[in-house]
Amino acid sequence: MSDNGSNPMRPYVGRLAGTKELATEIRLFQIELQEPAGKAAFANYRPGQFAFVSAFGSGEAPFGITSIPGRGDLLEFAVQRHPHGKTTNGLHRLDVGDPVGVRGPLGNWFAMDEIQGKDILVLGGGIGGAPLRPVISTILDNRDEYGKTTILWAARTPSLLIFTDEYDAWRAAPRTELHLTVDQRPPDWREGNEGLITTLLENVGPSPENTITITCGPPIMIHFVTLSLRKLGFTLDQMLVTLEGRMHCGIGKCGRCNLGDIFVCADGPVFYHSQVAKLLESFL
Amino acid sequence: MFRRPHQCRQLGGEFHHFLRLTTARPCLTQDNGFVSSAGYVHEEETHLIEQIRAKARELLESGRVSCVIGYEAATRGGTRPAFIYDPDGVDRLVWNRECYANLTTFLHDKKKPARRGEEVPNVAIMTKPCDSRAINLLLSEGQISRDKVYIIGLACGGMMAEGNLQAPCLRCNVRIPVLYDTLIGDPPDIDVTDDFEDLAELEGMSAEERLQFWLREFDRCIRCYACRQACPGCYCNVCEFDRDDSLWIGMQIELPQKYFFHTFRAMHLAGRCVECNECERVCPMDIPLSLLNRKLVKEVSELLGHRGGMTTDPVPFVTILADGEVSLI
Amino acid sequence: MMFMSHSSLTAWLDELAGERTLIAPRDVGRGHIHLRPVAGSSEITLEYDRPDLSAKEFLFPHTERLMQVEKRSDQVTLHDRFLEKGQVVFGLRPCDAHGLVALDALFRDREPADAHYTRRRQKTALVGIACPQMWESCFCTSLGGAPDDPTHLDVLLTAVEGGYAVQPVTNQGEALLASAAIEEVTDLSLPDIPRNEQVPVLAADQWPAHFDQEYWSRLGERCLSCKLCTFVCPTCRCFDLRDEPVASRTDLVLIERMRVWDACTAPNYRTIAGGHNSRPLKGQRIRNRYYCKFCYYPKDFGPLGCVGCGRCIDVCPVNIDIVEMLNTVYAMHQERDTVEAEAET
Ligand code: SF4
Ligand code: SF4
Ligand code: FES
Repeated sequence: MSDNGSNPMRPYVGRLAGTKELATEIRLFQIELQEPAGKAAFANYRPGQFAFVSAFGSGEAPFGITSIPGRGDLLEFAVQRHPHGKTTNGLHRLDVGDPVGVRGPLGNWFAMDEIQGKDILVLGGGIGGAPLRPVISTILDNRDEYGKTTILWAARTPSLLIFTDEYDAWRAAPRTELHLTVDQRPPDWREGNEGLITTLLENVGPSPENTITITCGPPIMIHFVTLSLRKLGFTLDQMLVTLEGRMHCGIGKCGRCNLGDIFVCADGPVFYHSQVAKLLESFL
Repeated sequence: MFRRPHQCRQLGGEFHHFLRLTTARPCLTQDNGFVSSAGYVHEEETHLIEQIRAKARELLESGRVSCVIGYEAATRGGTRPAFIYDPDGVDRLVWNRECYANLTTFLHDKKKPARRGEEVPNVAIMTKPCDSRAINLLLSEGQISRDKVYIIGLACGGMMAEGNLQAPCLRCNVRIPVLYDTLIGDPPDIDVTDDFEDLAELEGMSAEERLQFWLREFDRCIRCYACRQACPGCYCNVCEFDRDDSLWIGMQIELPQKYFFHTFRAMHLAGRCVECNECERVCPMDIPLSLLNRKLVKEVSELLGHRGGMTTDPVPFVTILADGEVSLI
Repeated sequence: MMFMSHSSLTAWLDELAGERTLIAPRDVGRGHIHLRPVAGSSEITLEYDRPDLSAKEFLFPHTERLMQVEKRSDQVTLHDRFLEKGQVVFGLRPCDAHGLVALDALFRDREPADAHYTRRRQKTALVGIACPQMWESCFCTSLGGAPDDPTHLDVLLTAVEGGYAVQPVTNQGEALLASAAIEEVTDLSLPDIPRNEQVPVLAADQWPAHFDQEYWSRLGERCLSCKLCTFVCPTCRCFDLRDEPVASRTDLVLIERMRVWDACTAPNYRTIAGGHNSRPLKGQRIRNRYYCKFCYYPKDFGPLGCVGCGRCIDVCPVNIDIVEMLNTVYAMHQERDTVEAEAET
């Protein structure tokens, strides 16, 4: 929880240290925090947590943190530019060296130590894959602690697949598989399959035994992935999901993100699907 | 609605004279199809409502429409919009001198199928003469198709508040709807000309006085957008004032922003406003929005001979694209 | 019982206005009374029922400037913006003060505390005036309040012959009254205010069973999706955050980050950047507003999210009436109980 002069709405000031084009209109922002309080707040963030990134003048928006602590000092966020999104446009206009603000880390996280010893099935769709990268990195950095790991990675087109330059490392890791799919495969693209992630999932046909699934993507994708997983015999308490939704405060105040009586920002964003299924209201 | 300030703007006399209802009005039962307002009783209306209900029943039973949009008794006097799907529900319908709301706004909700895969629904709608102009507006802008809407036209002698005709009704000279499929009631024999008398006082002011007048009015605005939401002509998918990336206006609920909101909205309705007074009716702060819109109605009708919704001619400011599509910008 | 004459009240208010911001009922045109900052007692009107908006707007204002961002070449400095001067809200009604209990629970008492609300709360004193009657749409007594309830105020005044009966409630209230000319009167009795009929309200855990009722979509059908009911409500607290530029020169850009009221009833409340709206139907949105008040809020934060002030009833242009809703949901619940009882026998 951020605690900056006990004003939770105040961002920590940082600087844009670098950017990288991840995919069409998706850019990786690497941020170096400058204020000591900010550095302290982000000393121990966890995979699955999120933060608000400010482009001063354009506003702030929430993004899953896509870096992991211990692998360098930079905070990383993958930001997709939306045509009418004021903040994402503002962020994409920034140059390296420009000041930015970061508010967080916020929300709960994937309890990576609780799922040690299990096989892991990671399902990422589009920009939804961003918060899953620290999950994958944690597994790869502690490879012996986790069982077989299968990554199903999807996007509408190959040009929208993110973290492409890490695929080789993922594939090279022991007991780790990466399967890619795109909705429509251009003739010259051979790296993966064609079709929705659910088709891919049913083709790969992972066993539910001692497995935990971790899904992040648009609501509609989570919905259909869940149906497919159930067909394969997975139960709802084997499924971890991280939800996205509209958020303005990130600390359970503004009311924007509620699903019934819970707040995605403060009670999530990571849930077991069995918890989500019990909610009065759900956008899955 | 109880304690809702009703505007009783008299022609001549005091510029704006507002009365607040201070006494509780009788609560109605759902089947009492008649509301009496401050002792006002209009004999024929009891048989008119029977005609309306019979028509509604026929339309629902024959499957011609799936929904009848009309008026029903509200909880604390007055009426409110009602949506009837079941022929047995038609007895909820009422028609009296307190049917203020312009129901055509709800046609926007019926433009799309209720569920994916279904057809766009056919609906019937109780339509007062002033409100009927909004249907023309929506037709001219390609929002609805004529065959999907069955218009139960209502001849109208004006709506009352506190025993007086409402101000817009005093100057209204459309006594039967400008289009309808069936007409209920006989047009009352009232002959008025709309000479824009209501604007005279404002037009007599200096620019500075007018500015001060409007700033004082807008000062009360809370940017609740009830005016915009109620207006049948305000249907942009994402309103400029809701856009995250609006370059025009900040989100502050402060005087400059309110002022800008209202002038912007008025401009967007120039030539399109159908003078139903709905924005002013719903405004919780009694901001005389009709004065603003009517000023533009006057200008457009004098300069271009166009009056919003009188016919299905599009407003002179739209661009008609090569394929016949109408663009408002 | 303590008593303050009209003239002492005037003198006291003028004195308060000198040292703090005095907020009081003021006629803002066409018969509308708003709580507004006033320079002195002469601007105050004492003839009103409920002000159009509650006292919420002075603790959680519709536009709160959270901070100012100063951008010079590639340096930014953030300047916090907080309320500096103390304020007295005079003439609010007991339900307005009751509404702050809900806001306190969320903004102040739930970690992390909101710095701006907390500061405003500390710097605000509440001097209420008891309602001379319960107006038609009032149902505060069904939700733990009362037209003459002093509980959440610092001082409660009650109109009596020739002036006001004075009840200090808190230490802050006592201190505030130190400079007032108050007499001790023995034969002063407070008026008995007739109560409106009680409205049945289900307990928080009884609501979920009715979430999927068709009633909500029927109710939503006539909703206009404006923000009116939430803006006048003493407890509704949805907000939006925006950066707005204030000044721009080549060497300096000033930006304000502000928090503005928003409403869960508005059409695009939940539309995310890609265009997906997770609450697209009017019935879903109006249901959320009511469930927030009677189910989620008490579960999450303790107090109910409604104090029965009736404002939303009075202003709704399409007669979405919270009392009718409460009665309907109660009836649905009764019916369910009967069905269940029958099933058991
Ligand atoms: S309805 Fe009235 S208060 Fe609401 S935005 Fe319109 S003018 Fe302002
Ligand atoms: S009656 Fe309406 S406005 Fe008043 S507290 Fe309850 S919900 Fe809010
Ligand atoms: S984002 Fe504000 S409550 Fe969750």
